[in-house]
Amino acid sequence: MDPEFTAPASLEEAVGDLERDGAVAVGGGTQVGLLVRQGLIEPCRLVWLGRIAGLREIRTDADGSLLIGAAATLAEIAASPLVRSVQPMVVRAASQVGNARVRAVGTLGGHLVHADPRQDLPPCLLVLAAEVRLLGRKGTRDMPLRDFIRGPFETAIQDGELLIRVKIPPNPRDTRCCYLRFTPGSSNDYPTVGVAALADLSDGMTRRAAVGLGGVAPRPLLVELPQLAGRALDAAAIAVAGQAAATACDPASDQRGSAAYKRAMARLWTVRALRACSL
Amino acid sequence: MHHVAVVRSQVPRGRIVAVDCRQALETAGVTGVFTGADVGLRLYGRRVRDVPVLAVDEVRFVGERVAAVVAESRSVAEKAAATVIVEVEELPSTLDLEKALTPGSPRVHDTPWAYPGAVVSEADPHNLQSRVRHGRPDEVERRLAASRHVVDSVYTFASGHQGYLEPQTCVASVDSDGTVHVWMANKSPYRLRAQLAACLEMPPERIEIHPVAIGGDFGGKGSPMDAPLCIELARRTGRPVKLVQRYDEDLTSANPRHSGRIRVRVGCDGGGRLTAFAADALFDGGAYGGFKPIATVSLHGLADIGSSYRVPAAAVEARIAYTNTVPRGHMRAPGAPEAVFAFESALDELASKAGLNPAEIRRRNLLRTGEANPWGETWVESRGLETLEAALAAYRPLDVDRGLRHGRGIAVYDRPTTTGKTSLRLLPGDEGVVVEVPMPETGTGVHTVVREGLARALGIEPHLVEVRQVSTAALPHDDGVGGSRVTAALSQAVAEAAAAFSRGGSDQPVTVLVEPSDTPHVTAFCVQIAQVAVDPDSGQVRVLEILSAVDVAEVVNPSAHRLQIEGGAAMGYGLACLEDLVMREGRVWAANLGEFRIPSTVDVPVWRTVLVEGARGVGALGVKSVGELGNVPTAAAIAGAVADATGVRARDLPITAEKVYDLLHSEVVA
Amino acid sequence: MKLAFLLNGEAFETEAPGGALLLDLIRGQGLCGTREGCGVGVCGACTVLVDRDPVSSCIFLAGCAQGRQVWTVEGIARREPDLVEAFIEHEGLQCGACTSGQLVMAAALRAKGKDPGEAGTRDFLAGNLCRCTGYQSIVDSVRAALGS
Repeated sequence: MDPEFTAPASLEEAVGDLERDGAVAVGGGTQVGLLVRQGLIEPCRLVWLGRIAGLREIRTDADGSLLIGAAATLAEIAASPLVRSVQPMVVRAASQVGNARVRAVGTLGGHLVHADPRQDLPPCLLVLAAEVRLLGRKGTRDMPLRDFIRGPFETAIQDGELLIRVKIPPNPRDTRCCYLRFTPGSSNDYPTVGVAALADLSDGMTRRAAVGLGGVAPRPLLVELPQLAGRALDAAAIAVAGQAAATACDPASDQRGSAAYKRAMARLWTVRALRACSL
Repeated sequence: MHHVAVVRSQVPRGRIVAVDCRQALETAGVTGVFTGADVGLRLYGRRVRDVPVLAVDEVRFVGERVAAVVAESRSVAEKAAATVIVEVEELPSTLDLEKALTPGSPRVHDTPWAYPGAVVSEADPHNLQSRVRHGRPDEVERRLAASRHVVDSVYTFASGHQGYLEPQTCVASVDSDGTVHVWMANKSPYRLRAQLAACLEMPPERIEIHPVAIGGDFGGKGSPMDAPLCIELARRTGRPVKLVQRYDEDLTSANPRHSGRIRVRVGCDGGGRLTAFAADALFDGGAYGGFKPIATVSLHGLADIGSSYRVPAAAVEARIAYTNTVPRGHMRAPGAPEAVFAFESALDELASKAGLNPAEIRRRNLLRTGEANPWGETWVESRGLETLEAALAAYRPLDVDRGLRHGRGIAVYDRPTTTGKTSLRLLPGDEGVVVEVPMPETGTGVHTVVREGLARALGIEPHLVEVRQVSTAALPHDDGVGGSRVTAALSQAVAEAAAAFSRGGSDQPVTVLVEPSDTPHVTAFCVQIAQVAVDPDSGQVRVLEILSAVDVAEVVNPSAHRLQIEGGAAMGYGLACLEDLVMREGRVWAANLGEFRIPSTVDVPVWRTVLVEGARGVGALGVKSVGELGNVPTAAAIAGAVADATGVRARDLPITAEKVYDLLHSEVVA
Repeated sequence: MKLAFLLNGEAFETEAPGGALLLDLIRGQGLCGTREGCGVGVCGACTVLVDRDPVSSCIFLAGCAQGRQVWTVEGIARREPDLVEAFIEHEGLQCGACTSGQLVMAAALRAKGKDPGEAGTRDFLAGNLCRCTGYQSIVDSVRAALGS
């Protein structure tokens, strides 16, 4: 069945276009195009968001939160001086997604709605306490990313809704972040394990530490590390964090690693990412 | 022209009960739908003819062609093909290689000995596809028993794909007088013509194979593949048809590499001199043997194992089994990367036992000029030692980051230079000359070599030589691109043509057909040194550099020559570290290039090449083969480097981080 | 859907199904330099530019090209023949199957206006697979085109 193709010029129009059953939103099209080509989805309508002014904006708001429009491409995010100054870990992750062609047109919104458990950005956005804004016929609703991503390729987005923006609150003063992606095979493959570590080291010791883990569970995991609060971020503390990461994950065995190996790598790369934060 | 989409078996083995094409036939734009019942049992093959054009009665692997839809467009054909219902009574299948040759394993073929070109007999295990035995096994046992040190190890190999970027493609048309025309990504047009003639039971002169450029071959595009089907469809629909495989079809149902294992037992005396070795290879040939071209239906590289060394006694047995999986074919130096991996690894393990380092055990045992190799072959000269020393002299250790372990590994390979029959025609052109050649350009630089060679022979500038590939109707013969034979064969043809052309006043067309036979018996050595940095905590192996020392005679085009080495090493690296055509329950699971990953720009190590010049070459230009050198010793060199770095020996390809991690954590010592 | 965009600098109009992919449209126009390799956006044989963005045309929905500039290797070779020269001089090809995509990526990289160095060049080309060359000659060709 041949789908209709629409290119709404406004969010309102887009929401209207998405009201039809079987309508699918298209950002850069790298995922939707692939699924359509393979016959895995048969949408009745493709709603391209590329013409909507303002949906690609990257800015900060009054309280210092970083706001990224859902149609911002991964390349734009990776090249943004604003993102680099406020959230360099996001730049690092965005610059390593897929390949240069994916990044050139792939959008943040498309990336998050696709919800592949191995993706690079979700673990980073989880530790940064990111929030998504959804827009539907009934208006907008905001949701923490950790509630938005439900399972493999499954999010809380409802039919007729669009993801329009990601908000990342400002970090406390001395926050260190590090994203490491472990690709033991081909470098621009999905990582076997991705670890986004965050340590708030204000006052000379750990106020908060957390890791986001990709590739080791049916969805990206946010692992808060309250055990580290009030301590120095030293080798002993980091070892505890590694253990917590290993315990938290629920990996599946596949071509990129057995469950046991992924668990061991979750520990190893958590340790390495936090060690980088502690330097 | 109409387009073809293929309906394929979804089970590894079964009896076809019914094929329901009704919905497809009723689809607008569909010209016809054909099954094995329509076409009949037609078999093709490069040597043994056991491959059905379309399955009749039985399917033998997931991906086998069961029906073909012809339609006005490819998308209509594919949509209609998705509606065809194939009812199959699934039967027990043979998927396990080790069990395939046992009496209880389900028969892949009822009477495999009965196929034309079969090399097995009724007395053989019923799933045996081929068996090759060379050497003196009794003598080997005697010497091994008396050896001071013996290694007995098994090395295992996943399947892989040639990874050409252009998938299998074919266009066929049939004239009203029955003459068949084929345009196909196939690197040996004359052999293809003969294979089609045999399959379709028609005279080869009534089949014309037309010139095409080919987007990479690497051994995977030498069979009739979809051409017999396209010809049958062109006949039945009365129009030209085109079949282009989607890449997932190519990965899952074309002719990927054999998986398997090689057991090597090798001994040496107290001084590290080799006494004897026995190699026992068992490989998975998949459902059909027809994709292998040599008379033994085996992989040449397996029978040549250990060829670079002086060994008093050697024995090899190479068996290939039928299984209900995708039929396997050739890939660049077929069998050699596996044989070299096994032998060179065993040699390193033996060196350890004998208290020698990898360079030294090779120094003591590499074949010298005048000596016969383990298989009784002698060469006009044997430059393994010079090549090894050149590699070692050029070697410079690289620094590695703190926490990583540096390792170095060495491996040796030698490959004889063969020629074979070829022809060409030289004509005066508008400005210079035109040379018509029978073989396609697959990316190896064949046409460049012809141009350069002719330019030299005629004393003119290369840009005045125009090279044109012509159809099989226009020239007598060529054996096809493969076996690294092209440069040597062509150089003979070029020399003769240039001489005849000049004698004739340079204004008359000249056709030559050559079959060089007095080639000096020549082999070319390639020694590679791999440097790796291993992260012991994750097992990750970063290959930093592959240094290739290559034994060369005349090099016609230095940059094309260098690219064959570097591209070969990239392929060797992929085999060593990345590539695994994963199969589950008889189905190829790695069904796209996102899953079956070949090396990218950021994966490959640094290439360094050192040419060891001054060898005697073959033919008028005095050349040595290079196309199937650089990809062969790489995996062995990398495994040796990993062992050097970590103390553990990886015996299973590809060498993944997880495997190294597991080896380190189970404390297996090299 | 009715589509209108610039194809290699010239106005192009067509009717196409809503789910049409840009690769099929391009090849349907006889521009066969752009090739289907893997069909899943990984190998890069199908690379074209849409405005300045390199895309995998095999999975690029043609509707997203509406009103924009599409450049295939044919157009890029005409507008930037020195790119082709660089590849010839540095032997950045063997069989040619990946070459169209490599040339298009080279044009995209050059258009960014800054030289990312050898590592940055390799990173940019990491999604363009080649089975023949081992990549060094391709990287050399692109770096020569960048003027380094």
